[in-house]
Parts: sequence; structure tokens; C-alpha cells
Amino acid sequence: MAKDITIYTTNTCAYCHMVKKWLDSKGVGYSEVNIDEKPERAQEAVAASGQMAVPVTVITQQDGEQQVVVGYNLAKLAPAIA
Amino acid sequence: MKEMIKNNLQTAHKPSASNTLTNVAAEEPATTANPKPLVGDSKKVHDVVIIGAGPAALTTSIYLTREDIETLLLEKAIIGGMSAITDWIDNYPGFPDGISGLELADKLRQQAERFGAIINVGEVVGVEKVKQHIKVKTTDNQFLAKSVLIASGSDYKKIGITGEKQYYARGVHYCATCDGAFYRGKKLVVVGGGNSAVQEALFLTRFAEHIDLLVRSTIKASDVLAKELAKHPKITTHLGITPQEIVGDSQKVQKVVATDSNGKKRDFITDGVFVFVGLKPNTMFLKDSAIELDSVGFVKTNHNMQTSVGGIFAAGDVRSGATMQIASAVGEGATVALRIRKYLES
Repeated sequence: MAKDITIYTTNTCAYCHMVKKWLDSKGVGYSEVNIDEKPERAQEAVAASGQMAVPVTVITQQDGEQQVVVGYNLAKLAPAIA
Repeated sequence: MKEMIKNNLQTAHKPSASNTLTNVAAEEPATTANPKPLVGDSKKVHDVVIIGAGPAALTTSIYLTREDIETLLLEKAIIGGMSAITDWIDNYPGFPDGISGLELADKLRQQAERFGAIINVGEVVGVEKVKQHIKVKTTDNQFLAKSVLIASGSDYKKIGITGEKQYYARGVHYCATCDGAFYRGKKLVVVGGGNSAVQEALFLTRFAEHIDLLVRSTIKASDVLAKELAKHPKITTHLGITPQEIVGDSQKVQKVVATDSNGKKRDFITDGVFVFVGLKPNTMFLKDSAIELDSVGFVKTNHNMQTSVGGIFAAGDVRSGATMQIASAVGEGATVALRIRKYLES
């Protein structure tokens, strides 16, 4: 199980909504950074993913290793939270 | 079947955090108290499997499940389809002030689930008739159905120019509502002249300092949008402009090189490019099937909205001849539900 999950989102992003809904359905907790509300933190998402896109999901494992998933990509999200 | 419907109705009325579009407060842990979602059963024969969960698919599922016809939807990306990533919808009847695409999509989903529709995440990779049933294969499962509806919709086309792929998500985008927030105070280029391009360019003005709208021929958007565009101080429209290349410094986009109607080269300095140049059907998964497609790849249907394979229907943006409107997709969804019901009764 992951130690921490942070999702960078915007208010209007449907893919962000889907990632959150999917994590909810799995019973997995997460923190959300909404860059519409905190634009000063947008650069964190860019730095983590190398892309100017949301959602960016940063999964920190128990051993501190981080995985970054851009978009609503269940093929990558599912193993990362297993 | 009735028992399943009853169970679904009981579940659907439970309060659920996922039934609201309200964002979880920034950086607060989200609730995890949602009911376990219903899933399709790969061992049974479903009455109807719908490929997609856009407006056409959700409407069909509302009509079918209200008739106690058990319906499974398989969606690979977003519930609500293209409508869910559209900033604002002004031409869908019943909403005099318009409605956000995300909200409309969620209302459709809630209505479908209220009557017992089962929506699963799944990318369909093949459809084939097996004796009297139809097999729908996903990347990790397969389902049998008495009837199948293809409502997999469409997706934005690429321009197909140098630099487009290289700078994807690093300066080249196809979803304004997703990625527009990264361009606060920046210069943008939007490519396209239809409703989507103009609507999304107007949306992007809430972030961008200035937008150059590059239109290959003329503005094809509705009069309402065209008038709003013409008076917007942040958007400059350039007609007769064909993008040729997206140029950057390998890290980020710097300009779009284009030609005008006289073949003269024009440079548009920009921090990012949003592309809305039309739609392509999501039918790659049908390329090896017996289902007949038109020359562009849309699914051909007869007057009953049935494809060339008995028991398999198509509706919405993916259907050859579709008008690419949400209201039309909803209408097609209702019509095809009645056709499917008749097929199941026969």
C-alpha cells in the first residue's frame, strides 16, 4: 500500500474527476492540490511529470520511492496503488 | 434481472461522495466511504453491453434499465465522453443558462445508475458474434451479450505536423479544460474554426494573456460564438492560415510556423498550442471485425441503427452520418434503445 498519494487537479478537468472517483471506489485516500485554487503550486506538477497537464498523481511508496502518473491511466495507476 | 435492478436501486440512493462534482478540499484526505461499485459478470450473458459511456450510451442505458433490461456499459476513459471535457454547453435543451460539460455528464451518469445501469472501466479490443450471442473483449476480460451497442464516440483529430507529437502535453494540447490552467498570463495559439475551437479559445481567455486563433478557411462556429469571438479583446482571429510546424527548444514550444492563403510564411510566437480541428471516430477496436465502417472509419448502420452484424447497433458520434451534437446523441440513444428492445423481443 502506498504511503502517500497526491493528485494535482483543476476544477474543470474531467480526467481529474475520474481519477478521484476511481481511487474513491478502491477505498484509497489521497490529498488533492487544486491548481486553480493554488496556481503557485502548478510548477510542482510540471516538475514531477515533465508535462503541462493534469491530472498528475504522485504516489509515494512505503520505501520512499515515487511514481508519477499523468492522466487517467489505470494501466499505470492500478499497479502503483496495489 | 429484476432482483439486480432492485439491488442497484438500493445502492444508487445511498449518499456517495462520488455523486458530486464538488472538489475535495485542497490537500484534505478524501472520504473513502463509498459503496463498492457494481461490476459486470464475465460468466453470464448480459442483456445488453454498451461500448462507451457518453451521452448516447447513457441515454440508451436509462431507457433500457427502466424496462428492466439489464445493461452493462464499458468505458475506457471518461464517463460523459467528449461532453465531459467541454467547458460549457449552451445548446443542450432544458438548461436556459447553459451547463458545464462535466456537470451534464455527471447528471447523465447519476440518472443511468439510478435505474440500475452498471458502468465499468474497460477498454474494448474486439467484438464478434459467437453463435446467437456477441462477445465483447476488453484488455483484461470478456463479456457475452444478447445485443451490443457501439457508442464509443469520437476524439479530437491531430493536425499531423512536425512538432505536434514531440511537444504533446509539453506545449501541445487537446483539452482546454484540463491543461489551460498552466497558461496563466501566457500567449497561446488555438488551431481550428469550428464550435469546439471557438468555445475552447473563449474558455482559455480566463488564463491566457492573448490568443491567436488560426483558422484554415473561415469560422464555422455558430453565430452566437462567432459574435462573442469577434468582440473578445484577448483573441485575434487569423483566417486562411494553415499551420506547418510547431517549433520549440526541445523543452517547450516557442512558435507555430504557418502559411497564409498566398503561401507566404507566417510565424506565431506562443507558449502553447491547443488543437481543435475536428473529430475522428473511436473505432480502432473494430478494424478486424465484421462490422462495416465508412471510408473515414465511422460505423455504418441501417434505418434501425443496426450495423452490418445482427444484434449489434451503433449510436452517437461514432455512427456514420452523426451530427456530432450532444442533443442528437441523446436522441439517437433513445431511438436505439427502442430498436434494441424490439430486437431482444424478437
